[in-house]
Amino acid sequence: MSSSFLTIDSICKRYGLLRALEAVSLDVTQGEFLTLLGPSGSGKSTLLAILAGFAEPDQGIVRLNGRDITRLAPEARRFGVVPQGYGLFPHLTVYENIAFPLRVRRSRSASINGRVRQVMELLQIGSVKSRLPRELSGGQQQRVALARALSFEPDLLLLDEPMSALDALLRRDLQAELVRLHRQVGTTFVYVTHDQQEALALSDRIVVLNHGRIEQIGTPRSIYAQPATRFVANFLGKNNLLQATAAIGPLGRLHFHWNGHRIAAGVTAPFEGPCSLTIRPEAIVLTKVGHSSQGTKDRILGTVVNHTFHGASADVIVAVGHESLTVTLTAAASPPVPGDEVWLAFDAERLWCLPEADTISPAASATSPELAA
Amino acid sequence: MILPSAIALGREFAGARFQIAPVRGLSVQDGLVIGSVLVLIACYLLPLGAVVALSFLVPVPGIGNYWSIFQNATVHAVVGKTLWISSLTVGLTLLLGYITAYALVQAGPVARKLMLAGVLLPLWISVLVRNYAWIALLSPGGIVNSILIRWGWLDQPVSLVRNSFGVVLGMVHYMLPYAILPIYAQMARIDSTLPHLARSLGASPRQAFIRVFLPLSRPGLAAAAFLTSIMSLGFYLTPAMLGGGKTVMVAEFISIQVTETLRWDIATTLSTLLLLVTGALVWRFSHLLELATAKPKT
Amino acid sequence: MSASSPRSLHPTRLAESTGRAVVVFLVLPLVAIIPMSFSDTRYLSMPHDGLSTLHYWRLFSEPAWRDSLLQSVGVALPAACLALLIGLSFCLGAWQRQGNMVRLLQILMLGPLIVPGIIHAVAYHRALSFIGLFDSFAGTVLVHAIKGLPFVVLSVSASLSSVHPATLQLARSLGASPAQALWRTLLPQIRYGIAAGFIFAFVTSWDEIVVTLFITSRNVITLPKQIWQSLFLNLDPVVAALGSLALLATLLALLATSLSGSRLRSLPSPNTIA
Repeated sequence: MSSSFLTIDSICKRYGLLRALEAVSLDVTQGEFLTLLGPSGSGKSTLLAILAGFAEPDQGIVRLNGRDITRLAPEARRFGVVPQGYGLFPHLTVYENIAFPLRVRRSRSASINGRVRQVMELLQIGSVKSRLPRELSGGQQQRVALARALSFEPDLLLLDEPMSALDALLRRDLQAELVRLHRQVGTTFVYVTHDQQEALALSDRIVVLNHGRIEQIGTPRSIYAQPATRFVANFLGKNNLLQATAAIGPLGRLHFHWNGHRIAAGVTAPFEGPCSLTIRPEAIVLTKVGHSSQGTKDRILGTVVNHTFHGASADVIVAVGHESLTVTLTAAASPPVPGDEVWLAFDAERLWCLPEADTISPAASATSPELAA
Repeated sequence: MILPSAIALGREFAGARFQIAPVRGLSVQDGLVIGSVLVLIACYLLPLGAVVALSFLVPVPGIGNYWSIFQNATVHAVVGKTLWISSLTVGLTLLLGYITAYALVQAGPVARKLMLAGVLLPLWISVLVRNYAWIALLSPGGIVNSILIRWGWLDQPVSLVRNSFGVVLGMVHYMLPYAILPIYAQMARIDSTLPHLARSLGASPRQAFIRVFLPLSRPGLAAAAFLTSIMSLGFYLTPAMLGGGKTVMVAEFISIQVTETLRWDIATTLSTLLLLVTGALVWRFSHLLELATAKPKT
Repeated sequence: MSASSPRSLHPTRLAESTGRAVVVFLVLPLVAIIPMSFSDTRYLSMPHDGLSTLHYWRLFSEPAWRDSLLQSVGVALPAACLALLIGLSFCLGAWQRQGNMVRLLQILMLGPLIVPGIIHAVAYHRALSFIGLFDSFAGTVLVHAIKGLPFVVLSVSASLSSVHPATLQLARSLGASPAQALWRTLLPQIRYGIAAGFIFAFVTSWDEIVVTLFITSRNVITLPKQIWQSLFLNLDPVVAALGSLALLATLLALLATSLSGSRLRSLPSPNTIA
């Protein structure tokens, strides 16, 4: 991989007593779609403001191609910004909004016209070019904001929750559009969101932020399958977190003890001892007692307590002893009903475990915020 | 002119209720409107209408008064003086008002509250008292002169009132709050992230101001311009007190016709023209009225 | 997004200091009258040998000043009541009505605020002479009421705009008569607007000078007219004392409203005399 395009080095930012960012370091690769994911107050918007040049960090350096740009004026950065609520200039038409970055750079009017047409075509908004922002739908406003941020061919595109004001259906359309756009223009995208579905669907890489710190950086698949902390395990998708003990068998194979059961794992052992065992709801196979079982020896008996239908899938809550697990089923012909006895079998390859110590590290402060303070 | 159309409109309005009355109790509301409008007509529109009517009737019926007004050299001089002083004061007021409103938007919450109090305070103190203070401060024997002489900036007292300078100063002082408040109200509405965003799109601070902030604050500026223009054209008290008879503007000229020369033809004709100009401004810019009467938010 | 600009721009600094200078310019004449009011001489000057409250006493003891104070109260109170009666009737009647007609009537109601005072002076000088009310108490009250009317309309309609549109119908459906609905549901909700309108109308009359100069002679001498007349003789420090008292009252009122929260702050600003 080539050397870093954008480097964020030990950034700290405080607002009074609030620590918005604490020693955040991050490398952004040229051309990638990077998502900053976190709940509100996690510092993701602050980081974006620092990248855009709207705010200065208290400590740390931002480098672009090796050059320090930490204190560079926003207009000297050549970064496009799509802010929350789009930030279209209400007194300018769609055309003039898109032409704005070119006009303030004093481009020749012929080249402005050509470029604006090109971007409007790219985003399919040519038909509304002489309207004012308030006359546009939410989706159109979003496209105009994108077009404006792309019109001057920025080195980097910063998007701050650009979909948060749109309804679910439109959001899905625009997600697909955004992926297409990214592939087409090849610009580096840094995308801020609190929506984990959006992050998983769009990104090349995800940076999970919480309380001003980075919890994990990785591809959507790796973060989903191998969360580094309990916070990440809970924040991305549904998950079962079980208090278990890891042990290494005679052949070096890892297995867990949970709730009186022995569960074999397909991974090699990172450690032994108490841990949080994670298993995704869709990685559990459920069979009704009495039916021919699939011959797993590590199967666990449970009782169905609840069943929620979601259309393509259904979530079943199964009680095992004093604990309960969520299991996601797809296309079950005769779904289990509350009271049914069922066998559960875990997909050994998709088990994951986190050290128990994690619960008192600051990273897990989502569950105990007072410990972090 | 305004009177008959108002009566016609009033009749139309009274008739309209029967179509829109969704609840029986509305007839009480109709009575309230009609009653109050009748009082307004009798006590306000009728006396004003009489002024307009007189300008066409005294001393002889016809539009002769208007002809002679347009040929009257004194009137020309007075109108010229009025327009000159008005544009000067409006221009100064808008410039200073815009800057002050901008400072208000930029200020921290405590400073903003104090500054707003300073802007609102003069509105509550009689303009007579304020002009009195200006005379006391600026007259040849006044405080400003004695300070300037003590510092050696002046050898002899200079009269800073009873001339055009005094009039402009007093008028600007009077009108500034009326300019600052609507401009500030509009500026406070501007999404504060837009100028920053403009800079991330490549605009320099200056370009961000000229291309984004200034156009977005323009409605407030327009409302302020509208308000101060109307005020400055009909200013009476301040020119009369601080002008010392040398800077005679239209309003004072009219008053001289009523009280001294008793030329009702000139008084009513000029009043009608002034009313016409004011009415035209209101008609053209009535959409700005809402902002012009906007209240400051702290 | 936290978008506080880190870069302090030089033009912004300049604007901030200019703005502060303008505010100082605005309050300068108001502050200047305070030392003048404590002058120990009979003519206007800064205090020479010591401070004196002489001019505050003169305000209430000299017949000319005392009578004009009483006359001003006597005119302003009924004028404000009359303005309230007319303005409140109009606002209640026009409430929730749409259309150009209502808009035009509203603008006409604001006329006394917009039309230059000198035109009112000419008009009422003529009209009051015509009906024999020149230099009369009744005529002055009537004219002052009309001048205060716009403020009542502005503040009452502002407070009406935040009342639920179905208030009256709701009260009726719960069994109230039209009068009860008005008295028990609507008016209590707009009482601050009514109070503000009354105060503004009172202050307008209290301050009114331009028209008063043209519709009165020897009988009616309100406080502003007394000031005006005194200014032809000399710069009497009594005026400074009067202004200082008005300043004190205004500061107390501003303080009270900022302490009592936002209710009274949502008011239009008064237009004194032009």
